[in-house]
Order: sequence, then structure tokens, then C-alpha cells
Amino acid sequence: MAKESTTIEVGEPSTVTKSTSHVVVDEKKKKGFVAATAGGGYKRGLAIFDFLLRLAAIVTTITASSVMYTAEETLPFFTQFLQFQAGYDDFATFQFFVIAIAMVASYLVLSLPFSIVTIIRPLAAAPRLILLISDTVVVTLATSAAAAAAAIVYLAHNGNPNTNWLPICQQFGDFCQAVSSAVVASSIAVVFFIILIVISAIALKKH
Amino acid sequence: MKSGQAEIAETSKGIQKRGLMSRRIAIFEFILRIIAFFNTISSAILMATTNETLPFFTQFIRFHADYNDLPALTFFVVANAVVSGYLILTLPLAFVHIVKNKTENSRILLIILDVAMVGLLASGAASAAAIVYLAHNGNNNTNWFAVCQQFNSFCERISGSLIGSFIAVVLLILLIILSAIAISRRH
Repeated sequence: MAKESTTIEVGEPSTVTKSTSHVVVDEKKKKGFVAATAGGGYKRGLAIFDFLLRLAAIVTTITASSVMYTAEETLPFFTQFLQFQAGYDDFATFQFFVIAIAMVASYLVLSLPFSIVTIIRPLAAAPRLILLISDTVVVTLATSAAAAAAAIVYLAHNGNPNTNWLPICQQFGDFCQAVSSAVVASSIAVVFFIILIVISAIALKKH
Repeated sequence: MKSGQAEIAETSKGIQKRGLMSRRIAIFEFILRIIAFFNTISSAILMATTNETLPFFTQFIRFHADYNDLPALTFFVVANAVVSGYLILTLPLAFVHIVKNKTENSRILLIILDVAMVGLLASGAASAAAIVYLAHNGNNNTNWFAVCQQFNSFCERISGSLIGSFIAVVLLILLIILSAIAISRRH
């Protein structure tokens, strides 16, 4: 009997407040709403942090690529045997570095809309999953470009006595400095990327 | 009430179906981890056991080539050894993921560690690849001459050991993606 009266009262507008079942329905709605914003709250915070990190990574990668591209030095003397000009296109690895980091920067710019979507809809899993998958692929590209350039820069600083490779930094000081700072900037971008992937993974968790 | 019971029965069937899919994902991850372990350990061993001594010598140039002579190759061996040790140590965790149902927190930990390992392995493989490219082709502008013209079998072996490492990088990326898909599934 009590149950039947409960079903009748649920059909009425919400001005009826006396029945207990209606209060239960109200509480459930409230709990559901609070749970949505609570889950959405911290996920939205993570998405905003993700967006800001992406902006920082864009700045870092564009810096790295352009510094490497414009690193050039010409020594004021010449002989018949040795070239005294150094540019990024003298090294195949640095050419790869410039192109790969430029691709990473354009990917980051293209992924900004996805990041904005995750801010607007923090509970949706699909944009985050897409971001995580493409971030993982691009972080490998960025890491390999940074590491290959770092190997060549290490060789330019220290040389290798076993293979008779002379360190060229003793002659091309400015070129070496510019190239080393480009490698450091791209390594910072890789660290940002790793944090981005971890944020996406944490935010994918469903309650 | 009856409709409620039918709903409960349907959701439990749905949960069973989803549980089967996650179990398949977890088994696939376990297999991928084993394959990646074999790839990294074979790369490390192949690079560490290459050496070549040419049968002649002069005062000026050494005619012995080893992985110790090039720091990038040493880093490659160390990185591959570390990643293969990591993969072996996380095999029990991957096995637990097959058996258990609620695995989200440990999967997040696994993703974080996997991303760190991908970074380490990719940087080791890339720096070794840069040095191997230089050994094959040399560089005219800096007077770095191509070492491979003298050390043929050494060059072949170090080029071959890079392949296993690159395959392991791809497998680790797949593992990260699978873990992410498993976390985002609704069960």
C-alpha cells in the first residue's frame, strides 16, 4: 500500500516534498550531480594543466628547431684542406633533428583543439585516449631526434680517440653552443611530453 | 521489480562480456612484454659481444673496435639491459592484470614506468643509430672518416643489433596504448 502511494507521488511535480521516496530521488539526483562535478572537477583541472603544458612544449620545440636551423659559423681563415664553415646541414643528424622537431611542434599545435575539448567535456574518454595514443607516438619521435643530436653534440665536444674523430667544438665555439642549447631545449620538451602522457593516463580513470 | 531483475541480469552479462575483452587485452599485453624482453636482451648481448681486431697495426691508429670505444654504444647496451630487466620484473604484474578485475591503479603505475622506459630505450637506440650512421658514412665537413670501411663485421653486427631495439620500442608503445585502452574501458 505504501509502495503504491509512492509511485503515484513520483509522477507529480517537485513541489510535493512530504514523501520519503521523493526525497530519496532528490538525493540521488543531487549525489549524481555532485559526483559528476567532483569527477569533472579534478579532471577539468588536469585538462587545463595539460593545455598549459602543451603551450609550453610548443614554445620549447619551436625554439629548439629554430636555434638549430640558424646555427651557423664561418671561421675567418681558410686553407686548401679543411672547410671552415659549419651549419646544420653539414650533419645529417641535425637535418633530421630540425625536421623531426618541427613536425612535433606542428603536431602540438594541431592537438590544442583536442585539449580544449577535454577541458570543456572532462568526462569524455575518447579525446583523452586519442591524445594519449598520438602523444606516445610523437614522444618517441622527439626523444629519438633529441638523443641522436645529443650523440653528435657529445662527439663534437669530446671527439673520439679510437676512431680519430676530432672534437670540432674547439674551433667552432658559437656553433657548438647554439647546437647544444637546441638539444637541451628539445630534451625539456620531451620531459613536458612525458608529463602530458601521465596526465592523460590518470585522467582516463573512471570511477 | 521484475524489470529491475532483468536489468540486473543484463548488466551482469554485459560485465562478463567486457571482462572477457579486458582479459584478452591483458593476455596480449603479457605476450608483448615477453617478446619485447627477448628483443632488448638480444640487442644488448649482440652489441656487447662485438669486437674486431684488424691483423695489422701502426703507431698512430688503433685497429681494435669494441662497444666500449664509442660512448653512445655503451649507453645503448646499458639502456637495453635496464629495459630488459624492467620488462622481466613487470611480468608478474602483467600476469596479475590478467587474473584480477579492478586493475586501474596498477595500470596507471605501469603506464608511467612504461613511458619512462620508452624514453630511455628510444634515446639509446637513436644515439647508437646516429653513431652507426656516422661510422658508415663519415662526415666530410668535420674530417670524421667512415670507420666501417675497415671494420666490416663490427659494423654489420652493431647495425643488426639496432633492429631488435627499435622493434622493442614499437612494442612498448603498443603496451602503453593497450594499458590506456584498458583503463578507459567501463567496468
